Amino acid sequence: MGFEPKIIAFCCNWCSYAAADLAGTSRIQYPHNVRIIRVMCSGMVHPELVLDALSHGADGVMVIGCHLGECHYQDGNHKALARSDMITELLDDMGYENERYSISWVSSSEPDRLARAFTNMTERIRKMGPVDLQNPAGQ
Amino acid sequence: MAVRAVLEWLNSCSGCEIAILNIGEALIPLVSEHLDIVHAPILMDHKCLGQCGEGSEIEIPEADIGIVSGGVANTEHLEVLLAMREKCRLLIALGTCATHGGIPALMNGQGLGEGIKGVFATSGTDPCSVPDVGVPAALDRVYACDEKVRIDLFLPGCPPNPALIAEVLTAVAQGRDPVQPGKSVCDTCQVLREGKGAVSKVRRFLVNADYNAEEPVQRMRCLLEQGFMCMGPVTAAGCAAAGLPPSCIRVGVPCRGCFGPVRRDGNQMLDMMNALASNGIDFKSVVDRRSLLRFSGAHGLLRQIRTRPVRERG
Amino acid sequence: MILESRKIGSVMVVGGGVTGIQAALDLADAGYFVYLIEKSGAIGGAMAQLDKTFPTNDCAMCIIAPKLVECGRNLNIRIMTLSELAGISGTAGNFTVTVKEQPRFVDLDKCISCGLCAEKCPKNVPDAYNAGTGRRKAIFLKYPQAVPLKYQIDAESCLQLKRPGSCGLCETVCDAAAINFADTEKTHTLSVGALVLAPGFEPFDPEPAGIWGFGKFPNVITSLQLERYLSATGPTEGNLARPSDGKPVRRIAFLQCVGSRDENKCGKGYCSSICCMAAIKGASVAKEHVPGLAAAIFYMDMRTHGKGFDQYYEKAKNELGVRFVRCRVHGVEPQGKNGDLRLRYINEQGRQVEEYYDMVVLSVGLGTPANMLDMADLVGIQMTPSNFAATSDFSPVATSKEGVFTCGTFAGPKDIPQSVIEGSAAAAAVAGFLAPARGEMVRKLSWPQEREVRGEPARTGIFICHCGSNIAGLIDVVAVERYAATLAGVVHVQRNIFACSEDTQQVLINAIREKGLNRIVIAACTPRTHEYLFRATLRAAGLNEYMVEIANIRNHTSWVHPGNPQAATAKACDLVRMAVAKIALSVPLAPITVPIIQKGLVIGGGLAGLTAALSLAEQGFTVHLVEKTNRLGGNSLNLKHTYTGEHVPMKVAKLIDRVLVNEHIILHSETVVSGVEGHVGNFKTTLKNANGRSRTVEHGIGIVATGGKIYAPDEYGYKTIQRVVTSLEFDKLHDLKETHVKRGKSFVFIQCVGSRDEERMYCSKVCCTHSVQSAIELKREDSSRNVYILYRDMRTYGERESLYKKARQMGVVFINYELHGKPRVTSNGKSIDVELWDHVLHRPLLIKADMVILAAAIVANRDAENLARLYKIPLEQNGFFQEAHAKLRPVDCTTDGMFVAGIAHYPKPVDESVAQALAASARAATILSRQEVTLDAIKAIVDPAFCDGCGLCIDVCPYHAITLLEKAAKGAQAVKIVVVNEAQCKGCGLCQGTCPKRGVSIAGFTLDQLRDQVRAALQA
Repeated sequence: MGFEPKIIAFCCNWCSYAAADLAGTSRIQYPHNVRIIRVMCSGMVHPELVLDALSHGADGVMVIGCHLGECHYQDGNHKALARSDMITELLDDMGYENERYSISWVSSSEPDRLARAFTNMTERIRKMGPVDLQNPAGQ
Repeated sequence: MAVRAVLEWLNSCSGCEIAILNIGEALIPLVSEHLDIVHAPILMDHKCLGQCGEGSEIEIPEADIGIVSGGVANTEHLEVLLAMREKCRLLIALGTCATHGGIPALMNGQGLGEGIKGVFATSGTDPCSVPDVGVPAALDRVYACDEKVRIDLFLPGCPPNPALIAEVLTAVAQGRDPVQPGKSVCDTCQVLREGKGAVSKVRRFLVNADYNAEEPVQRMRCLLEQGFMCMGPVTAAGCAAAGLPPSCIRVGVPCRGCFGPVRRDGNQMLDMMNALASNGIDFKSVVDRRSLLRFSGAHGLLRQIRTRPVRERG
Repeated sequence: MILESRKIGSVMVVGGGVTGIQAALDLADAGYFVYLIEKSGAIGGAMAQLDKTFPTNDCAMCIIAPKLVECGRNLNIRIMTLSELAGISGTAGNFTVTVKEQPRFVDLDKCISCGLCAEKCPKNVPDAYNAGTGRRKAIFLKYPQAVPLKYQIDAESCLQLKRPGSCGLCETVCDAAAINFADTEKTHTLSVGALVLAPGFEPFDPEPAGIWGFGKFPNVITSLQLERYLSATGPTEGNLARPSDGKPVRRIAFLQCVGSRDENKCGKGYCSSICCMAAIKGASVAKEHVPGLAAAIFYMDMRTHGKGFDQYYEKAKNELGVRFVRCRVHGVEPQGKNGDLRLRYINEQGRQVEEYYDMVVLSVGLGTPANMLDMADLVGIQMTPSNFAATSDFSPVATSKEGVFTCGTFAGPKDIPQSVIEGSAAAAAVAGFLAPARGEMVRKLSWPQEREVRGEPARTGIFICHCGSNIAGLIDVVAVERYAATLAGVVHVQRNIFACSEDTQQVLINAIREKGLNRIVIAACTPRTHEYLFRATLRAAGLNEYMVEIANIRNHTSWVHPGNPQAATAKACDLVRMAVAKIALSVPLAPITVPIIQKGLVIGGGLAGLTAALSLAEQGFTVHLVEKTNRLGGNSLNLKHTYTGEHVPMKVAKLIDRVLVNEHIILHSETVVSGVEGHVGNFKTTLKNANGRSRTVEHGIGIVATGGKIYAPDEYGYKTIQRVVTSLEFDKLHDLKETHVKRGKSFVFIQCVGSRDEERMYCSKVCCTHSVQSAIELKREDSSRNVYILYRDMRTYGERESLYKKARQMGVVFINYELHGKPRVTSNGKSIDVELWDHVLHRPLLIKADMVILAAAIVANRDAENLARLYKIPLEQNGFFQEAHAKLRPVDCTTDGMFVAGIAHYPKPVDESVAQALAASARAATILSRQEVTLDAIKAIVDPAFCDGCGLCIDVCPYHAITLLEKAAKGAQAVKIVVVNEAQCKGCGLCQGTCPKRGVSIAGFTLDQLRDQVRAALQA
């Protein structure tokens, strides 16, 4: 069997987690490589968790929040976005390809969009191959 | 009964050793009552390879406490460190180089080859590679001590705080747990704080902070809130003498992060950048963010950046 | 008093749409038991069918779903689906109501909505939820987020019910044995103190009259059908394709006023109020879905009078490129055989134009169907000529029958925010009426003493649900069970056919008690629907309710990986391991209670403030009423008649009297707010009066009703020409029979003076109706007068349209002008010349006027800024107070415990100000009716061992819940630390995501818990 990526997805309770529930109810299929971590808001995810996941064997990390302007907590997803830009740049500093991280927005009634995000990420990481923990950037 | 202690220095500038001396008068009862220093290259004639480096085996006497300063940059450092670990019941890493790589670990940001080329090879010198004949061979990068051996106590600082060194040594000699600060520089910083939300960019410290030197520092606004890159929130406390504000901030200078991260496995760059981004401060206004790891570039945090081969995007 | 005590503390709300839901929630939270009866199989109403909502383009389902769930879980709301009102007797305060409940044929307690039945059901029928655009089975779930989330059988289509023995497949496949073909109609007799009628509307059906070929041409659809086509959960999953041939839509047209403002073809004279915005939204969203889509809206007047609506309109026009054509189309015909449609109309230049479209959307209006009229008859309430419930502008939610209230579109066409406002307003009116019986019928649960488990090593129990075959059919649950037993700290593993069933709860309770379990992992479905159930079970077992974690091995596993049992089983093991890792770090959390000062503060003594204060007082709460001036009444003192003709001065005088004599109201006149401290339940506001004296009052909630003021025009010679006046000035002159008015023969009203321009891109909402009323009055006095109204769009929305019609019948001349061609007003000292371009005659026009009346805008009060700062409630760009959510929280502020009503929120007429004031009172009463509120324990907790008061988190908190505290600790040096106000914290965790040192974390979602969960996911 080929490389099966391990992907951690931080899903906001109010949107993407609910969309994942609805994907189930609607029997929409997506790759089994994603493990969902339920958080109350995408803005709750400390960048440390992203790095920690990558350094403990995750091949990709996703943060999925509510569409901008639709945050359950006013502007938590904007904070997540600001951090995300930062994480993307820092991943390079830390020696990881920044494509291993993604942020996206999915509302609770968009199970298709969520499934697509999961599928795209899995395919992207599958092409990239696993993180080389000794030498993450392939130096 | 005094406990036997040995000191060694690895990739060290001897600032840590000076800090020990800076314990001042309190050092006298410490060495005369509590400690029996049996090996200390900076103080005594006996070195680990004989008095003039003529020995071939590392000789470090058995001891209850070992204090090691400096990080691990070459094979000799590594051998000495391994010997220290073997001979000492309790091994203390003294100073930020030993605990987090310190300034020498800045080298990790460009890699050994690049470092040699950029620092030692100038237009007037012959081309050279990393020397390994007649000198100990360099390691691939600069390591903190705990990356190579188990360390029992960490005493960061560049330089470390003499009062804290005294406390740790006394405590260990008395067989109790030492009292060490566990929070960030902000814990002892008494400046005015309201929140960071009003700052949009951080500046380098090229102009003076807004404060009146005649007034106590308690009247000064938090330097980060003044828009300066102050690393206080992500840096371990310990630089201040008891009851005093942090050393740099006391004189209106932002914290540079010399005590390393607050949590031992923390990442000063990531935490600081996150703190800025979360507060709506433009993180791109940090001119050289990798310099936030200037004291803690070991543990694989500061890495060489190479252009990656272009990969097919999925 | 004897009569009073006979009132019953329960209420029936008829209609489970968003309006009824709001009324039910507010009543239940204010101490009344609610029967919420809904005709269909699930609550949600029309809003649940919408794709997006204007003007924020929020996903409709995403914002209504939490309300549905809240309603479903509320202990004091009994949802009765498939039910209708069948009879009513008794008197106000003590009605006996009979309700007929149609059989569902599915046992609500047993159905787990796995969907197997519908999958197997052979009978396929058009789906009403999808407005006929899609199909469903004879056994069906109304929609995926339905509450109750239960299937139902449609008796008219079910083969088995029509001919027993012919099918019954659903019964065979149902693992939960939920199908009951023997179910029958039931009749319930209920005693209630009051009724709230909120049955909603029915969209106009264009088919019988064959409007624009609807029903004949497949590509002519209704606006509701467009919603379903655009919805991700609709029949085309959001793809905009032509129903005729599935070809992508490239050109789309919206035809306005179908079933509105049209007595000839549709028999409806009123304006439906919402269709203009709905069409703009439809066009905007469709353009988002289909890049390059050409969208055109054909309209008479663009009625975007609500808050933020004009900006939305301008954006669609100028940024998104939606084309707006002011005309009535006079033909929609097929072009060729492939489904193209040809539109014919006369454009503004007077030319006949033909255009071709792929899809034509009819913006259908709202109306009251026959069955609701029958219900109105049954209950015995009066209806308006347009067939909406008749109400007074000063009590917009009271019907003609005492004890019967109404709200939403049943009481007149209106949008969602106004419906929600009325839902709350009806709750306030009921609560005022039933005040003596508050709290008499509500239910409370009691729990056994909690066992202290802190300090115990983990003793985790794992329960793996088969969910019939939904999980066990794919996942090897025995393997998961075996694996789970090997995990650290796990002392008990058990499988259940249905973890959520009633009898399994007892199994759980016994296991917890007998095995001394202190942590529970349920491997089943989603925590979003089932966490509350298992929390209740833990409480019943004497274990802290937060010691449970759910591994979602159904929705996130078995249902999404059907072809791969191995991977699904492996993933289930991972999810269980992750849950065990997370729960290992859980600690018991104590519920947080905040004491409430059961007093209110109302700022502003105008119509809204007076109404809100009186409503709270009549509910029995003490109210401080603060008025800046020495006179109560505010702007309403300038008004004479409401649009329905009610006499404002008389009604306002009465209202002021009732406020002045009410012993619960403490009036602070000539007083302003100068300082504020505290938070919901415990505000301390400092008031300063004209003498400069200050006093502090304590209150649990605050209502801001500071109104607005009239714009002072610079334009149209207002400052230089004597007989150019504002509408309010004209009213006074008119009232005083001033000579120029009395003798005047030519009057020109100019609309939108200071409104809808670059500086103030909003509609002042009241001016069109006001000018039309004045024009009618002028004509009534002397029909030979020439009265002109120069307008941009006549916005006599809702039933106000009848005034517009009347004015035209009386000969008032309406002339349209555009923003770029404003009228010019000049004077030679004698008469006034008004020049403008006539769009119908296509030539310049000169009107000699005796008087020019400017419909000047309503603008925000300047002192709003001060209040906004003090109470931390934001203002929008025009200076009006920003509500917490434009759609579903239209009177709440973002600061908990603060509410807004009246013009302080946005310009609005009397009836809407009163409704919003009542709504604010209802929302406030949900807080004031308790001595303390219990909050969810998922909140930020500061760890003093790590927090050093660096202050990074302070400005990150969206709720201003974090403050820096300096406390003198051991030794001389002060210790800095942040403190979280639990009442303000909502548990979002932005602070946790910021803190570099674990100084603050969210209980139940700590960084360490998330980290361990992640690491557990990556093991093995």
